[in-house]
Amino acid sequence: MLSASNAHPQKKGDTAVSIHDLSVIYRTTLDKRPTLRNRLLHASRGKKQTRVVHAVSNLSLDIPYGSVLGVVGANGAGKSTLMRTISGILPPTSGRVELFGNVGTLLALGVGFNQEMTGRDNVILGGLAAGLSKSEIESKFDEIVEFAELSEVIDAPMRTYSSGMFSRLAFAVAVSVEPDILIIDEALSTGDAKFKTKSLDRVKELRSHNRALILVSHALATIEEVCNEVIWIHKGKLISRGKPKSVIADYKKFLEVGSSPMIDEDV
Amino acid sequence: MSAPLEVFLPFKGGLPPLRKYLSQLYSRRQFMAAFARSELRRQNYGSAFGQVWLILNPLLLSAVYFLLIVIISGHADKARYGHLTASLFIFYLVTDAIVAGAKSITSGGRLVLNSAFPRLMLPMSAAVVSLFKFLPTLLVLVVFHALLGLPFSWTMLWAIPLIALFFLFALGCAIFFACVNVYFRDAQNLIPYLTRTLLYLSPVLYEASALKSNLQFLKNINPMYPLLDMWSRVMVHAQLPNCTSYIKRCYGLP
Repeated sequence: MLSASNAHPQKKGDTAVSIHDLSVIYRTTLDKRPTLRNRLLHASRGKKQTRVVHAVSNLSLDIPYGSVLGVVGANGAGKSTLMRTISGILPPTSGRVELFGNVGTLLALGVGFNQEMTGRDNVILGGLAAGLSKSEIESKFDEIVEFAELSEVIDAPMRTYSSGMFSRLAFAVAVSVEPDILIIDEALSTGDAKFKTKSLDRVKELRSHNRALILVSHALATIEEVCNEVIWIHKGKLISRGKPKSVIADYKKFLEVGSSPMIDEDV
Repeated sequence: MSAPLEVFLPFKGGLPPLRKYLSQLYSRRQFMAAFARSELRRQNYGSAFGQVWLILNPLLLSAVYFLLIVIISGHADKARYGHLTASLFIFYLVTDAIVAGAKSITSGGRLVLNSAFPRLMLPMSAAVVSLFKFLPTLLVLVVFHALLGLPFSWTMLWAIPLIALFFLFALGCAIFFACVNVYFRDAQNLIPYLTRTLLYLSPVLYEASALKSNLQFLKNINPMYPLLDMWSRVMVHAQLPNCTSYIKRCYGLP
């Protein structure tokens, strides 16, 4: 399951992800209730009833192979948007994202799962959603079930699972993909303490010279333990990048006082 | 450094690069099949009759409409019931695809936000689900056909290309309404009225030959009309489909 042979062999230090001057802009409706009347009234005046959200603005970043990059930032900093753009879920508004390997994402657990179907069917469904082929899933099936510790109930419908069992299976499916570039967004806090340790261990195992890991988390201790580099994003901008200890210390200081010299400076 | 494996650039005119999109769509065909199968399984899961509803639903529907026709016209005949059942079943292939297709992307929620795949896959699998809900009803049609004593003939095999045409039309509708519903959520509320109107404008509750001469223009404005007329000729009367007359009509030929 943890083969070091990736589809696109890479050396440590080669670029895995290269982001140039990336901006992602959302438009959301401004009126509280987007009624037809409001639309018509404003359409005739040619006024756009939208609010522009700069989720990511002019961000440039290179991520080399062999690195485990932690991403920290307050809610709404644009972390998830950045991850979605790297995974190709959202198109950039401007700038470009270059990938030198295939990407696997773990943005939310149990994507594509169907509650009415058995755990077995969902492993296949979830694996296909994650981009595996049917034969790949079949060859990994036993390991997935074993890792999730669900071999006894794998043929029961998913709706009979507890939420912990659900996330365990989802996590097991997601980490079985083994991409060159793996993005994990807030997905490590699943299950009980035992499974949490187990999943963290799995992430540590996934660290290898020919893989790049991007880890988004609010669990700063985990980030500090696992990552060898951390970036801090605030309001779509890259505030700092460096050794986990120093970036996290700065970030913690910011969380306490609500501002920091680095934020207040016009970066 | 080697060339990047993949580059994400801003979309031109809001559209992804088409060729790449289509090849991605093709590479995700296994997922589409599994997704459609799970959706089909989910729809009638947990009800007492389970998958039997796939047949029971259209059957009850045709019974209700037959009641309506008998009351309005005052008499019932075999061919009429055969026509109603056959037409209604295939008509619901299309409307089911429209209804499910419209919801497919907006209700995709977590899947749409968290995994990269061509979104076209969602309305496409909605249409495939509708097709698979329709196929078992063909068996019911054959049984009915025999029970009503309607003629059988090899020409009825024309039903196969006709079903393909109906499916293509259903697929197009599903994709169109999926897009419309993303930008204009009110569409979901309008669709029931739209499909109901389409039902009355189509030769389902009446036969195409019964259309009054001052209403002949309906044949030109309703894309379902020729399809349903041909379907009824093939499936109910075991005749050849009259496609040439519709093609001529289309180009204004005599």
